Amino acid sequence: MEHLAPIVKLGGGVNLDLAAILMIVVTSLIVFIFARLAVRNLSVENPGKLQNFMEWVVEFVSNIIGTATDFKRGRVYLSLGLALILYIFIGNMLGLPFNFITEAHHGHATFLGMELFMDGKEEAEFAWWKSPTADASMTMALALTVIVISHVQGVRHNRKHYLKHYFEPWPFFLPINIIETLAKPLTLGLRLFGNIYAGEVMISVILGMSWVGIPALLVWQGFSVFVGAIQAFVFTMLTMVYIGQASIHEEDH
Amino acid sequence: MEIYALLAAAIVFGLGALGAGIGNGLIFSKTVEGISRQPELRGALQTTAFIGVGLVEALPIISLVLAFIFMSR
Repeated sequence: MEHLAPIVKLGGGVNLDLAAILMIVVTSLIVFIFARLAVRNLSVENPGKLQNFMEWVVEFVSNIIGTATDFKRGRVYLSLGLALILYIFIGNMLGLPFNFITEAHHGHATFLGMELFMDGKEEAEFAWWKSPTADASMTMALALTVIVISHVQGVRHNRKHYLKHYFEPWPFFLPINIIETLAKPLTLGLRLFGNIYAGEVMISVILGMSWVGIPALLVWQGFSVFVGAIQAFVFTMLTMVYIGQASIHEEDH
Repeated sequence: MEIYALLAAAIVFGLGALGAGIGNGLIFSKTVEGISRQPELRGALQTTAFIGVGLVEALPIISLVLAFIFMSR
């Protein structure tokens, strides 16, 4: 049950994964439309249901920031946290209900004139609908964006403490601190990728068991919803912790 | 050398599952102990426990992805 991803190889080692691009666009559209609908006709005395829900999400992210760092200084990152948690949660949920598969024969497949890569096989199936976060490049892009934000803000707002913390608590800890700095974006991105990708592979394995797998699929879908929500929460919480540690440091010392 | 790939996949994920099981067990045992000492902190302790689970399970899940990669070679 091995589905290929519809990859277009441009020259020079650059591969475009069309399914990932499609899902990123779909997820961005859904989050954008949801956010715009939630802030239409705002009212204080008579909030609608979507407005109530959006207020709850904003309060939830504010709690995350308050747990991670000092809220007065960390408030500027509220919109970043909100975008991250909504995008990752909706992205994790999208890959669960459907799949959309096309078949390719004779070792040759095109889409809108672009050649799809078939790894030398004669017949293959392409899967077009998956979570955007089930792609390692996507989650590493999110993780690298967040880590770059934390380093840049650390250097801009907190230069002395940021440079000093590489030598805390003892100067010979420098290699350990450098390894920690390199490990942060890796684990941040790969944690999200691994959780969602493993869930999707397990769904396709359970589907391969035909009707025997129906109760197993129910249980696994429920568990995947749970894991998707937790991973969105952990990603946002770790973002706030890393940004807060790098840039909002001064009052403690 | 297909059998070595399958063996590698099994070892990678077996050890990863061992780590995940022990780690989660430690987290939740301490959480249950904390709830029994102070029942009013139950919400905060549960939240922290789930954050801990998300962090501890990161490397075992990466080992699962590695096992899938080995199996498909």
